[in-house]
Amino acid sequence: MSDETVSSPSITGSTRRGILAGAALAAALPSFGRNASAQSVLKIGVSLPKQGPQTEQGNFIAGGIQVALDQAGGKLLGQPCQTIWYDEPNAQGAQQNMQKLIDEEKVIGVIGGGNSATALALSAVAKRARIPLVIANAAARELTGKSCNRYSFSCQTPVPVTCRAMAPYLLQRGKKWYFLTANYAFGQDIANSFRELLKAAGGTEVGSDQTPLGTTDYSSFVLKIRQAKPDVVIAGVPGDDLSNFLKQYAEIGLKGRIPVACPIIGDSDIEAVGAAAATGIYGKPWDRQDPTNSAKEKEFATAFQARYGKPANDKAFLGWISMTMLLGGIEAAKSTEPAKIVTALESFQVRDMAIPARFRTWDHQLLHRWLVVGVKDKVTDPRDFFDILESVPKTADGLDALYGAQADIGCTLGDL
Amino acid sequence: MRRVPDQIESETMLDLLLSQLANGLALGFIYVLIALGLSIIFGLLGIVNFAHGAFFTLGAYLALTLERAYGWPAVILAPLGVAAVGMLVEVVLIRRLYGKDPLFSLIMTFALALLMEALIRRIWGSAGQPFSPPDFLKGFVEYGPILLTRYRLAVIAATCGLLLLLWAFLQFTPYGRILRAGSRDPGMVGLLGINLRRVLTGAFGLGTGLAGAAGLMAAPLWSVAPSMSHAAIMPAFVTVTIGGLGSYLGAIVAGLAVGITTALTVQFWPEGSASAMYILMAVVLLVRPRGLLGERWERFE
Repeated sequence: MSDETVSSPSITGSTRRGILAGAALAAALPSFGRNASAQSVLKIGVSLPKQGPQTEQGNFIAGGIQVALDQAGGKLLGQPCQTIWYDEPNAQGAQQNMQKLIDEEKVIGVIGGGNSATALALSAVAKRARIPLVIANAAARELTGKSCNRYSFSCQTPVPVTCRAMAPYLLQRGKKWYFLTANYAFGQDIANSFRELLKAAGGTEVGSDQTPLGTTDYSSFVLKIRQAKPDVVIAGVPGDDLSNFLKQYAEIGLKGRIPVACPIIGDSDIEAVGAAAATGIYGKPWDRQDPTNSAKEKEFATAFQARYGKPANDKAFLGWISMTMLLGGIEAAKSTEPAKIVTALESFQVRDMAIPARFRTWDHQLLHRWLVVGVKDKVTDPRDFFDILESVPKTADGLDALYGAQADIGCTLGDL
Repeated sequence: MRRVPDQIESETMLDLLLSQLANGLALGFIYVLIALGLSIIFGLLGIVNFAHGAFFTLGAYLALTLERAYGWPAVILAPLGVAAVGMLVEVVLIRRLYGKDPLFSLIMTFALALLMEALIRRIWGSAGQPFSPPDFLKGFVEYGPILLTRYRLAVIAATCGLLLLLWAFLQFTPYGRILRAGSRDPGMVGLLGINLRRVLTGAFGLGTGLAGAAGLMAAPLWSVAPSMSHAAIMPAFVTVTIGGLGSYLGAIVAGLAVGITTALTVQFWPEGSASAMYILMAVVLLVRPRGLLGERWERFE
């Protein structure tokens, strides 16, 4: 009797406590389970724009990343691998999302940077969090210059290099240049780089206008250009603005009379202009139609077309090469430790390319070919605008000269 | 490579300025159309329509689709299509905002703008689409020192025609009179037995139809992309603020002022050509806080 009276409350008490303890354990178990399962699926973070003016670019880059993952069989170090893609609404949002990828999703590497502003922001996070970052699509020279760090790698060719690649071709057209550049880092970079090259060749600058970013009406600027009568117009404006500019340039009748040049352009920017107004000389990292593409690059183009039903463009290529380098580096490191991945990436090469691609050790810049292309006189296929005018450098030895000397670039990587 | 023809040799600064002004007028008129639509919606419905830029974009995309399917004569239907969508939106969403705190209309129309942009992206894709002026409007004309492209001349002519039609409609037709009366005193109009609800639906359709017309005209000049609304909405609000919210003549004067100011700034201070309209707005507001021709709206005082 006393046992029952004593035991019932104590059984209830211990049962209640037991239930509480069991519940606590059960609640804690999934987090243990998550850690355990997180080890079995390796995650690579992707930070690219999903909305806004750069959605198209973001989609193509992400497509290239996915194709690279498919080609690796969806596996990394023998374990299944997946990508987690977060939006990049602006530089601050990109930083927050990358932090989320690192803290919550526990990614072992990140590919990102739809434009230079977000790329610089991500690069700072990579340095602080010590996670390898491969920047797919940013051309600001600071990324591999003043703001370089040991954990960030950049795939897109920097602006000064692209200008250096195009300048000889443009100087053939004439030495009187007109500069129309957008008033932000990219445009100013183009203006400064081309100005140096023009002066070195003994040319003259017949006019220079800085336009606000996002200008829609270029008619007044085009009229100024028309009056100045240059040999070449350097249009250092980003994709959307370039599309507007070219349409209005053709409207006023200057298309075909004075060549327009921009050192970096995306395929989709010219497609937006349309065959009627498209004109100019541009730079690109890769072209699907290039006959000198290697077997591996052609394979990528075919795989992209098969998966997405659209032809691969230069942005897709940048996504693909970023992912191929990152996966290759991780495989070569045989580990998911950031320091080991970084060391492996510094010496990893993708050999089966027209010129083998590798990250330069002292600034983490991807060394690869650069194409100078011109819009065809008669565009018949709306997906095929360009003739390839020049491919630089011709051999691998020319890469270092093209991409600049260590003294000019000013990058000190720092320690791991 | 052909040389640029000799006739350009004799241009002076003044000639250049005049040409810039003339071409900038086309831009000004497009802003007038957008601002007018915004003013009508605010004046008659009391709603600040943040989704106006999205209707502008819709107009451009409908023009694109119609031109591809049926050729240039069909693009005239694009503003009508936008007006139809506008009326549908009014019946479903906007109607619930009448008489409420303006903050609600701000939030609702802002969300609507984001929704419409996402839908446009879903339907037409996120890439910019090519769209050029029609062949018969290619090239430019020269009136003395002024060089004006044919297409911009057509835009100016078409917009003037549209503005005249609109004025005549509001001034002389019964529907126009009801619209003007309803903006001042909806209660009295209701007491007179007029179904104001339907009238207001029509008004919203009219406002958005004007935005659609502006989109149609801007499409061959700007790249047609889902984010083109961003480039149109700010000038529209600046124009309406300068001209006075709810004033039709104000929207016209202000739109032209903004277009001309922007074109002139390009000649003297190119980096500031985007900020010029904001500086103009600040100056105007300092002198006349209601805008140039702004009126008192009793129900908001």
